[in-house]
Amino acid sequence: MIDTEALRNSVGELEEERVDALLDAFLASSPTEEDARAVLAAYQAGTDLVGERFEQGRYFVGDLVFAGSMFAAAVEKLKPLLGFSGGGHTVGTVILGTVEGDIHFIGKNLFKTMLEAASFRVIDIGIDQPPQAFADAAVRYDADIVGLSGLLTTAVDSMRETVEALKTAGVRRKVKVIIGGSIVTGDICIYSGADDWCRNAYEAVGKCRDWVGAAR
Amino acid sequence: MIIIGEKINGFIPRTLQAIEAKDESYIREIAKSQTEFGADYLDVCAGTAPEIERDTLKWLIDIVQDTVDTPLCIDSSDVNVILEMMPLAKKPGVINSISGEVGKCEAILPVIQGTDWKVIALTCDPNGIPTDPQVKFNIAETLIANAQAHGLALDSIFIDPLVTTLATQQTSLLSFNEAVRLIKAKYPEVHITSGLSNISFGMPYRKAINTQFLALAMSAGMDSAIMDPTSADMRATLYATDALLGNDEYTMNYLTAFRQGLIGPAKKA
Repeated sequence: MIDTEALRNSVGELEEERVDALLDAFLASSPTEEDARAVLAAYQAGTDLVGERFEQGRYFVGDLVFAGSMFAAAVEKLKPLLGFSGGGHTVGTVILGTVEGDIHFIGKNLFKTMLEAASFRVIDIGIDQPPQAFADAAVRYDADIVGLSGLLTTAVDSMRETVEALKTAGVRRKVKVIIGGSIVTGDICIYSGADDWCRNAYEAVGKCRDWVGAAR
Repeated sequence: MIIIGEKINGFIPRTLQAIEAKDESYIREIAKSQTEFGADYLDVCAGTAPEIERDTLKWLIDIVQDTVDTPLCIDSSDVNVILEMMPLAKKPGVINSISGEVGKCEAILPVIQGTDWKVIALTCDPNGIPTDPQVKFNIAETLIANAQAHGLALDSIFIDPLVTTLATQQTSLLSFNEAVRLIKAKYPEVHITSGLSNISFGMPYRKAINTQFLALAMSAGMDSAIMDPTSADMRATLYATDALLGNDEYTMNYLTAFRQGLIGPAKKA
């Protein structure tokens, strides 16, 4: 078994070579499924370090993307040991998309990577999605959280209409709604009827974890 | 280079602050300084919630036109808002923007047919913002054909091949430049512009990325930019690059800009 603390720190420091060396040594040691879960948890903890440093202004968007790619590569390598994708268990289901009239995707995709790193099941329905598409997906996948992304001023009304569609579909009380994107503010959160808003993907993941009662 | 001054935009925190505080003097100041530093058009964008976007834009337009004669670049993602703001303009300017998204060309092009308005056309469509230069070119071609069908002259069209964020797409500049080359090879009279600061989103020391992007994209054929002309670094890059690319006979523009203090080491304090 490897030193999970060292792995966590190396992920946090974005030391790709060292991380790869640790993982390769681990994979060569005929590990058990339980061991693999511990390694995945260390990756998640390391990704959290990256997120914290991003919030502190020490790391930048490129660092987050890079950490996400390291995590995705590790999941690929650990998959055979874990039985099936991810880490086996998930802490909750998130429906994610860019609202109608908007086609931006960078923030949404980053949020998706970070949610997956935090053991959420993520259903990404894509860009320019009408309110009904969010409502349908929330029902179909028995969602816990719906994430709405948008950067344009026109996205604000789409967010509000999407929250309305969730009400009409009868799932509004069951799900938490979080909105994000450069246009989003506290006022817009109230206007849209969402439960909360975020300035960046990392902050949003923290709020999602609180909602589903997952450990931070 | 055709410079569209970017600062009167509610997505910029300092400008949003002025909008929220109804701080007329700040808006006047940035309208004036951008004009003095060579803006050919002044972008006006509310960046506020939809229910107050119209009021905000009207307020901005009135202040700008009361301060300078520089034509406007009316900037909204809602074509109906653009259509409502156009009659307020004292002279024809630029529409920012149309794209391959449903309904945009249909709303704007018939209205500017036979006028001196120019239009920025973004290379995105219902499938999103492409990263492939060939797809950017294909969308540009459709937009150009559509604009020509409405009688627009080629040099009234500004294609913005939508630069993606370098932090998340390593080949962003390469793809942008390839699209610029493809468009310019077939339509030399069409202008290419870019809201270029998007390139450095999420990165530290953005001005290093922005200035070098400007130079590299100009060398591929970009001949307009939506930028901050009051930035000394951007201005110096602009004049130096134009001279280096052979667009500045005897480098006179560069020399004159230096003599006028538009470029060069900061003077006094």
